[in-house]
Amino acid sequence: MWTVFKLQWIRLFKQPTLLITFLGMTLVFVYFLAGAQGEQTITIPTFSETLSQEEQSDWLDRLNEEETFEFIESDYETVYEDIRMNERAFALGLEEDRYQFLIGREDMEISTLIQYVNQIYSEEQRLEQVSESFGIGEINVGSYILVETTGRTEAASSNEIYRMAVVVGMSLYFSVYSILYLMTNLVEEKQTGTWQRLIFSPLTKTRLYAGQLLHYMLVGVLQITLALLILRYLVGIEFGTNYLEIGVIIICFVFAIVSLGMLLMGLVGSPQQLQVVIPIVATSMAMLGGAFWPLEVVSNRILLFLAELMPIKYGIQGMMGAVLQDRTLSQLLEPIGALILTGIILMGVGINLMERVSENQSI
Amino acid sequence: MLETKDLTKRFKSKTAVNQVNLYLEKGESVGLLGPNGAGKSTTISMVATLLPPTSGKVRFNNTDAWKNPQALRQVLGVVPQEIALYEELSAYENMKFFGKVYGLKGKLLEKRIEEVLDLIGLTERKKDAVRTYSGGMKRRINIGVTLLHEPEILIMDEPTVGIDPQSRNYILDMIRELNRSRGITVLYTSHYMEEVEKLCDRVYIMDHGEIIASGTNDELKSILSNEETIHITVQTHSLSFEEKLSQLPAVTQVSEEEQGYKVIASKGENLLEDIFELSRQTQTKITGVSLQTPSLEDVFLHLTGRTLRD
Repeated sequence: MWTVFKLQWIRLFKQPTLLITFLGMTLVFVYFLAGAQGEQTITIPTFSETLSQEEQSDWLDRLNEEETFEFIESDYETVYEDIRMNERAFALGLEEDRYQFLIGREDMEISTLIQYVNQIYSEEQRLEQVSESFGIGEINVGSYILVETTGRTEAASSNEIYRMAVVVGMSLYFSVYSILYLMTNLVEEKQTGTWQRLIFSPLTKTRLYAGQLLHYMLVGVLQITLALLILRYLVGIEFGTNYLEIGVIIICFVFAIVSLGMLLMGLVGSPQQLQVVIPIVATSMAMLGGAFWPLEVVSNRILLFLAELMPIKYGIQGMMGAVLQDRTLSQLLEPIGALILTGIILMGVGINLMERVSENQSI
Repeated sequence: MLETKDLTKRFKSKTAVNQVNLYLEKGESVGLLGPNGAGKSTTISMVATLLPPTSGKVRFNNTDAWKNPQALRQVLGVVPQEIALYEELSAYENMKFFGKVYGLKGKLLEKRIEEVLDLIGLTERKKDAVRTYSGGMKRRINIGVTLLHEPEILIMDEPTVGIDPQSRNYILDMIRELNRSRGITVLYTSHYMEEVEKLCDRVYIMDHGEIIASGTNDELKSILSNEETIHITVQTHSLSFEEKLSQLPAVTQVSEEEQGYKVIASKGENLLEDIFELSRQTQTKITGVSLQTPSLEDVFLHLTGRTLRD
């Protein structure tokens, strides 16, 4: 097994172009799609018809404590006109104990914004109630309220979520390409006869498959890891500290993709046909699985059902959970289980198909 | 040593190999001769335990080879028709890999690689990628890789396809040397009858998945002991001349050649007069006539009505 495994590495080092190309494409796409966004803040005009200038200013200070959104002072007429002219999507109306949004059109930031404003208003109201009950003039929040953070999502802006989705989606998407294209070696070996030559040898088929598949898995894991490391240290994208969880998700995802590769190799007989099939499979899987856009924007039930069948969906879900929501392995059982199950099923069918094809191949 | 009993392979409705019985004794060189598509490769794939037979048996040292393929594989060397090598790797790297697969390692592996490279005449080019080799060199390394573990039985599937005469002779001499000096048992398939005649002690002739004749070269040629082969060279081919030739009572077979016709006819009949008469009648200008002792090609033609390259 190790002889076969080692041979595949020698072959890869002799022709590393494929791997370097897809690693490069991962970085380029992430940089342009996510990196270019930077730490962009979203400006929200605010207005108030009931608050004084000072009260409005206090609210703005409070709302601007987080850097994700920048709340600026404006007036009703101006924001109404801007929204009417479609120059702004929404604005925030401030009142003493409630708020309102003027919304001109749907925007993906609104739900995060509402959540954030609601949180600030709730906190302020609780503090006021406590202050009134105990007759205290001013409360130092840090002394009385234990803020327990259960995950990064609550703190993560939609911009951050989008950025991470691109990073994860592109890293997984291009790894699919690398793995599947490398796996065409298997079909090529059957065509050139080296596979048959190995079958004649005392090497068992199990060892032969194990040596090959282990190589493809390791290449996939290394490519994703390398991409994430480069993005972490050169582009400055944070992936949190859940290294174990991220590692497990990557391994399970790569296992599922290698298994998908086995299925394709079993179904498609020639390397030439695979050159056509691989981009179709990889791209449609990425589209359906949410690597190009978040599945939250998809409403079609058929597309959502198909997404459930795509390993990349669970890869993204698991990685996002580990990175943005600090989820532990036990909380990530759903994507991990789905990936392993998909992998086992596809691998079983794939190897059977390949063996059935082999049974009809002579020297 | 190695034998097949009623070996049959069916692919859906097509029977590729039908009830083939053959055997190889230790140290023998046996040829499997037949045109493309005769079922030679399928037969040796089953013998080499690559392709499971639909029915029939492969027996190695009186045990079922398919029940314990590893026993046969340890002593078997198979040279496939294709260049089954990693072309981006050098000859040395290919040999090292395949040697390791057969359990060779360390100094023994290095020694065997050196010996085989020397035997196939590629020591000088051992570090070059196989893809840079000529067709003949690729064929030689394709054989060399198979010899690393010193197999007792060598199965070769048309190992000289598509190479120049010089490389072909080199390979044939090498195989003969391996068989005669080192006692390696050889099963050699080809559709080149000259190769089989030159190399093999016994020959099986295959057509349409069946063995249609077998024996030593002389035994097979004796099938045609009552016949002779006449080559007629003509200026231009003539359909009527060919038709009239085949109607002569003594003629059993007429086939068109590049510059004329090959006629198989009963021995002792004076055909030349009739042939010249027919050429006059059909206004076909004969430029030469020669008589030849029968070859395996003629035997195949006699048995099937087709040439090996049809």
